[in-house]
Amino acid sequence: MPVDLELEAVLRPIQYPMVPYPPKVITLANGKKMVVRQAVREDVPEILKSVHPCLFIERDYYDIVSARLYGELLAWYRYRVKSEYCLMGQVDGFLVGVVNGRMENEKVGMSYHTLAIDRGLRIGSHLFAAKMEYHMEYLNQEEVLIVAESPIGFRRWMIEYPLEKTTIPHELGGGDSYRLTREIYFNAKPRLVVGDRPVPQELMDEATTAIKFADDDTIRERIAGLKGR
Amino acid sequence: MKKEIAITAYKCRKCGKLHYPFHDRCLECKGREFEKIKPQGNAKLLTYTAIFNLPWGFDQRFLIIGVAEFENKVKAMGQIKADSVDQLKVGMKVKPSWEPVRVQYGEDVYGLKFEPMK
Amino acid sequence: MRDVAIIGVGMIPFGRRDEDTLMDMLAYASLKALDDARLGEKSVDAVYVANMGGGILQRQTAIASSLVDRLSLLPAAAETIENGPASGASAIKNGMLGIAAGFYETVLVVGGEKMREVTGWRATDFVASMTHPQAEYPYGITLPGMAGMFTRLGMEKHGVTREHLLAVSLKNQEMGTLNPYAHVEMALDRDGIFDSPHAVVNNPTSADPLHLYDLCPVSDGAAAIVLSSVDFAKKLGKPYAVIAGFGQATDTHTLAEREDPTDLKAVTLAAQQAFAMAKIKPADIDVGMWPNYTMPLPSSKSPRVNMSVFSRRGRAAKPPQPVRLVSVVRSRSTSPAA
Repeated sequence: MPVDLELEAVLRPIQYPMVPYPPKVITLANGKKMVVRQAVREDVPEILKSVHPCLFIERDYYDIVSARLYGELLAWYRYRVKSEYCLMGQVDGFLVGVVNGRMENEKVGMSYHTLAIDRGLRIGSHLFAAKMEYHMEYLNQEEVLIVAESPIGFRRWMIEYPLEKTTIPHELGGGDSYRLTREIYFNAKPRLVVGDRPVPQELMDEATTAIKFADDDTIRERIAGLKGR
Repeated sequence: MKKEIAITAYKCRKCGKLHYPFHDRCLECKGREFEKIKPQGNAKLLTYTAIFNLPWGFDQRFLIIGVAEFENKVKAMGQIKADSVDQLKVGMKVKPSWEPVRVQYGEDVYGLKFEPMK
Repeated sequence: MRDVAIIGVGMIPFGRRDEDTLMDMLAYASLKALDDARLGEKSVDAVYVANMGGGILQRQTAIASSLVDRLSLLPAAAETIENGPASGASAIKNGMLGIAAGFYETVLVVGGEKMREVTGWRATDFVASMTHPQAEYPYGITLPGMAGMFTRLGMEKHGVTREHLLAVSLKNQEMGTLNPYAHVEMALDRDGIFDSPHAVVNNPTSADPLHLYDLCPVSDGAAAIVLSSVDFAKKLGKPYAVIAGFGQATDTHTLAEREDPTDLKAVTLAAQQAFAMAKIKPADIDVGMWPNYTMPLPSSKSPRVNMSVFSRRGRAAKPPQPVRLVSVVRSRSTSPAA
C-alpha cells in the first residue's frame, strides 16, 4: 500500500532543527582509534543489523536496551519520533557502539540508550559522554533527563557524573529521571569527555565508506562469550 | 554539637606499647593489662587514597580515606574531608572530628574524620 | 617428614562464567586435575577446598563435603579452607602437611571463587569484609584502597612512579594475551592508557594513586592440583613436581599498626622460611610469581602470607632440575588457587 502522504503529514511529529554533531576521534586503551560520528536517517537499516543479535542477550540487560533501541531507531526511520538523533562509534570501520536520544523541547534533552557492542574498552562511557556533549555544547540545551536500565549504567552515569535526582518521569517509563545540568556537565567534562577534532581524513573515509558489521555470532561472543572482557 | 572522639587506644602497662584497636595481649611483650588512652590533639597524615569504586552502602562518587597519627601517637584510619587528593600531602597536619561516616540500616554510623589544616 | 609430589593439575578459563555455579567450576577443575594425575576410578584420601566467598556470595557452606559428593569421592575427608585471599595457598599447605606427616597418600586441593555472582559494589564490599570490623571497614575502605595507601607510601619512600606501575600493567596484560586461561586477553597500548589525554577516561583513577589497569579484574574461576607421596607418584609413570618448601607468616590486622607498611614483614618471613626449607637462595630462582591484587607493590592487605617453592623432578628421582618456580601467594581476590 503506498504511503498516504496526506495522512503522514498528520502523523509525523514536528522536528526541531538540529545542528550536526562534528565527528571526533578517540584513542582507546588498546591503542585503536574510535571515530564517533552522527548517523543519518538512511543509516538506520544498517545499524539495526548490529542491534538485532543483542536482542537475545540477557546479560547486563542487553536484551531490554537493544529491543528499545531497535524500536527507537525504527521510529526515527519511519518518522514516528520527535527530533531523534543517533551517534555511532566505529573502529576500523566496524560499528562498536550506538547511542541515541532526542530533543524533548529546545531546552530539555531526553537521553535514550547506550549500546556497547565491543566491551572492555569503555566504549559505552565514551559514547554516553559524546551524547551529553551533543546536548550541551551543540544543541545548547539546559538539561538532559536520563534513566539507567542496568547496574553498569547506573554506576557510569548517576555516580560518575554525578547526576541529580529529580521526580520528573522519564519517557522510558521506568522510574524518575536523573538530570544532567550544564553545571554538572562542565564540571565532569575534563574527566569524562574526550576526543580530537578534526578527524584525520583517512579515518573519516574509512568510517563513512561503509559501516562494517561483525557477524551475529561474533557480536554475541564479544558481549556474552566466555571471554567477555 | 561537636561529638567527642569515641575511640579508645590501649597502652600496655608492662612495656608501654600503644595499641589501636584492642588486642587481648600486647603485641610486644604479651602483657594483658592495658591503660585506656584517648587520642589527643591534632594528627599527622601518614598515607591516604581516594577510592572511586566504593562498596555497597556508599552512593557518593568517591571517598578519601587515610591513616593519621595523633599527637599522643595513636594511629587510626579515618575519612578525609577534602575535595581532592591534590589538597593532601603525606606528613601534613589534620584536625580530627567524630562524625557520621556512613549509613547502615537507616542509622548514621559515627567515625573519625580528618580535615586538612592550613 | 616425607616429600610431597604434585601429580596432576587442572584449571578452567577465568572470566565471567554466568553459566556455571561455584560448584560447577570446582568440579570441572577437580576432574581435570584428577584425570591429569591418571587416577582413573581411584579415590583420594582427602579433599581441601579453598574458598573465601561461598558463605557470603553464594550463601553456601560446607562446600568441600558437597564437592566430594559431586565428584563421587566418598568417603574422602573434606575440608573447606577460608583464609582470605591466601586461601588457595593455605589449602595446598594443609594438603601437603597431611601427606608429609604420612597420614594421607593422595589429596585433591581445589580453589574456586565466583565473584561475578554479584554486582561490583557487592563484590567490593565482600572483599572489604577482611578489613578490621571496627577500625577500618565502617569507613568504606576497600582492598584497592588499601593498595592505594601502600602505593602512596611506596612513592614517598622508595620513589615509585606511575611510570613504574604502567610498565607492570603493560607487561601483565601482554602476558594475558598468551594465557588461554586469562580473564582479559587484550594487549594494552601505552598511549591509550597513559600518554594520550584520552587515557583519563580509558584508565581512570580507581584508588589513587592506582588506576584501573593497575588492578586485577574481578573474575570467576577455579584451579586444582592432586598431591601424593613421592612413592605413589613414582608408580604413576609420569613426570611430577615436588614441593621443595613453603612458608607462612602473619602481620597485624590493621594497616595503621604495621611497623612499616612498605616493608611487608610477613612476606619476607614467609619467603625466608620457604627458601630455608628448600635449601636454595633467591638467586637460584628462575621464575617468580606474585599473585596479588595489584602487581607492583605487594599491596593488598591480607595479613596472612603463604609462600611455596616448587622444584621439578623427573620420574627417575634425578637431582632437582634447573627450572624452579617460586610462588608467593599473598592476596588475590579473584583466584584463590595458588
